[in-house]
Order: sequence, then structure tokens, then C-alpha cells
Amino acid sequence: MTELLIDPNIRVWVFLPIVLITFFVGVIRHYVSVLISSQKKAEITQIQDSQAMIRARLLRENGKYLTPHSFAMRKNFFNHEETGYFKTQKRAPVAQNSTAMLTDMVKGNFINVLPMVIIGGWINWMFSGFVTTKVPFPLTLRFKPMLQRGVELASLDAAWVSSASWYFLNVFGLRSIYTLVLGENNQADQTQAQADAMTGAAMTMPQDPKAAFKAEWEALEITEYHSALKNVEKDMLHHAFGSDVSIENSIRQ
Amino acid sequence: MSYNFKEMCWKDVRDQFRKWREDNERRSDEVIQLWEALLENHVQKTGNERHLILEQVLIAGFDTSRLDIAGKCIETLSIEFPESMRVMKFEAMRLEALQMYEEATDLLDEIISKDETNAAPRKRKIAILKARGMRSEAIKDLSEYLKTFMSDQEAWHELCGLYLAEGDYSKAVFCMEELLLHNPHSHLIHQRIAEIRYTMGGMENVEIARIYYSQALKLNPNNLRALYGLYLCCSYITNSRALGSKRKEAQKMAQWALETAGVRTISSSKIPSNDKLVSSLECALGSLDIKSN
Repeated sequence: MTELLIDPNIRVWVFLPIVLITFFVGVIRHYVSVLISSQKKAEITQIQDSQAMIRARLLRENGKYLTPHSFAMRKNFFNHEETGYFKTQKRAPVAQNSTAMLTDMVKGNFINVLPMVIIGGWINWMFSGFVTTKVPFPLTLRFKPMLQRGVELASLDAAWVSSASWYFLNVFGLRSIYTLVLGENNQADQTQAQADAMTGAAMTMPQDPKAAFKAEWEALEITEYHSALKNVEKDMLHHAFGSDVSIENSIRQ
Repeated sequence: MSYNFKEMCWKDVRDQFRKWREDNERRSDEVIQLWEALLENHVQKTGNERHLILEQVLIAGFDTSRLDIAGKCIETLSIEFPESMRVMKFEAMRLEALQMYEEATDLLDEIISKDETNAAPRKRKIAILKARGMRSEAIKDLSEYLKTFMSDQEAWHELCGLYLAEGDYSKAVFCMEELLLHNPHSHLIHQRIAEIRYTMGGMENVEIARIYYSQALKLNPNNLRALYGLYLCCSYITNSRALGSKRKEAQKMAQWALETAGVRTISSSKIPSNDKLVSSLECALGSLDIKSN
């Protein structure tokens, strides 16, 4: 098979423009999303709930360092049948279709999906059918659909990359450059946003405080008090003053 | 510590300031000195760190009552961030420093009404009450605050201090225990609980104090204060009406604690003739004991 020679004009008018377009679209996306994203405002009850949960969890974990009386007092505060915190605090379940969430979703779509579709479509239409570059190593035939989208030539070597595929390579590969230019946590990377949208759908949904309270209540209910300080004097003599075992014995006599 | 201003350039000062910020050191005097000598004219070059430096300097300005510097910093910040709550809080602190408490409280109320989840202005309001000596009001407000922000360690610590000042030891112990839940491995918190329990008095509390002193010693064997506290608790038990065996054990423990404390003091003391001083002090205290009996 004879070696293909690519017109230098393809480099100037297809290869570089695709890189630049994807890069600058990313930068613009970053600033637009910074501009229109609203700062998430926490409700005061949410803060209170989360802090109460932290406190209950700490009581479960470190309650063993308290005196029995202090532990019972705190457990009662959370779990008492009639007056306990987890019993009396009634929180309305979070409304799913509140306007704030809806606008967030619209905004997310606006900056994530729309540019992806429009720019992708435009690139496909504008630069379709070019062979732009070649990867410097041989590849098997399986890579053809990945690297040669838009150029369906059976006889073309799989190492050649078509313009549409070059665009996708750029979309996925510019992340580290964005980090370099825009700093960490930038909004430019579409793939990151999409991954979030797919996996994080359940996570970003606000937790239902009622269920969380119930879980914490149960966990605390089955927590029994075991003092960690029962043999502390002995431990202290052993650990801190390890060489003085004889002292301990003489004291215990 | 004094700095040789001539050998430092503004970059060194910036790094030093950064280090203090990261380590939570106030160092107000030094901050003000270095600021006036070196950094003030170069602050524009520090980029985004500028705002943090300005905050640090203005707090130091309040500490050293250099309100002129603090005022300038606030002005610079408020030009850059008009309407910012954080800058408004500093403005309230300036009013506080000028003892214009009413105005400061009004300003803080305004911040809270704009953002009710903001904890800082609420704490400032309580600090104002404390500064005016209205301790019971401060306690009331702080308990109210802690009902919402339950895991705010700083606030629990402050409430503990306020209760101690009021002499309400059982409530102070409660606050300290809350801190213990957050840092169960801090020997100082154990020691403080033990101290409060010992101060409360009574057989039961002294027993608890003994346990907590022991835990503090276990976590940090060099804690001389806890060692002495252990001695005090044990000698209290020795002189109480407890069971004979218990008293005997406590007595031995007390003896051990005192001996260890003595050895520790001599070995780590930097005063040359320390043991002589200690023995003469012991004599004096011994005669005091006899008189009080």
C-alpha cells in the first residue's frame, strides 16, 4: 500500500481549527457556567440536621470516654421516646420538583448538552470527510470505527484519524490542559459533567432527613455503653510508665 | 522575636504571613510591624492572596488597637467587594473595637437577616455580650446558637469558659465532654474535665476526676499537671471515709504520683538550685497545712 500524503492545507484549515474550537468552547463554557450558576444556599434546618447527625455519630463512636451518666443523658436527648430529638423533629420530605431544582436542571442542560450537540453537529457538518492525522503506531482493524468516523474507507489504514474522530479525541483529551489554564475544579470539561450526571444522579439528590434520622436513631438505640476508662489507671502505669510494673504491683497489694 | 527588616524582602514577609495563617498563629505585633515596614507598599503584587493578607492584617490591627491600619484594610476590601457579608462582619468588628456595641449589633443583625445560615455574625454578637460583661445573656444566646449549630467545637469551648466563670461546674463539664467526643485523644481535654470534676468536689466526682487524670497521663506521660491532679485526687480519697482497702491503694498511688512528679520536676527544671527551692516551699506549705488544721 502506498503512503498517503496529506495536503498541508488540511493541517491549517481542519486540524488546528478543531483543536482551537474545542479548547475555546471549553473556556467559554467555564465562564458561562460561572456566570449563571447560582450558589447553593443551605437551609438553616439542613445545617441543624447535619450537625445533629454528626453529634449523634460522635456519641456512638466516642461515647465510651464519657461517664455512664453523661452518656445516658446524651442518648436520651436524641432517642427519648417522647422528647428525643430524633423523635420530635419532623422534617417535611424534600420536594422533588421545587423551582430551584428545576432551574438548576435547565441551567445544567443549557451549558452541558446544548453546546455538545450544536458544536458537535457543526464540526461534523463543516469538517466532514477529512483525514486529518495519523497516529504514530499501527492499529488493528477494530479501531477503525473509533478513529475514522465519517470516513468509511475499507482500504484505509487504521492508524489514520478522521476529522470527526479528531474532534472527539480533543473533547476527551483536553482535561489536563483546562486544569492548567483554568485551575482545578473548572467547568470546562464536558466529559466530567456527563460522568457526574450519570453516576451522581442519586447522590446529588438531597437526602431525606426523615430516613436519615431514623437510621441514626436505630444506630444509637443499639449502641450500648462500654466504658473505655475502666482500667485506665492500670493501663496508664503500664503504657506510660512501662518500666514500673513493680510499682503497680506494690500499689495493688 | 524580632526581625531584621533590612534583610527581608516583601516576598519573605508574604511567606511568613502565609505560614502564620496556616498554623493559626495570631502574632499580631509582628504582623503589624512587618506590614508597616515592608509589605504595605507591595501588597498589590501578591495577587489573589492579597485579600487574605488584608484580613490577617486587619485582625492584627484590632488586636494591637491600630485601628487606623484596620480601617484602611477594611476600606480597601469594601471597595473591591461591596456588599460582601464578610467585609460587613469586619466593619462590625471595627465598631466593636470602638466600643460602639449597639451599632455593631445592628450591623450583625442585618447580616444574619440576609443569610441566616452564617455562623460568624452570631458568634460575634455573643462576643459583644461577653465584652460588655453580660455573661448570663451571652450564655443564653450561646445555648440558643448551639441548639442549631450543635457540632461547633469552638462554641462549646466558649460556653464551658462562661459556665466556669459563673461557677456552674456541672454544665461546664457537659460542654467539655462535648469537646471530648470530638477529640477523644486530647490529653488537655481529659485534664480539664478532671479539673472541673475535682473542683466540684464530693467522693463521686473525685473518683471520676481520678479516672480522667489517669487517662490524660496515659495519653501524655509528661503532663505534670495531670500527675499532680492525680496526687490530689488520691490524697482526697485517702482522707475520706472510703473502704479501708481503697484508701490504702489510693495512698500508695498518691505517694507514687508525688514521687514521680518530684523526679520529673527535678529532671526537667531549668532553675539551677531548684530542689532547694522546692524543699523550702514544701516546708512553708507544710507549716501552712498545720495551721489550717
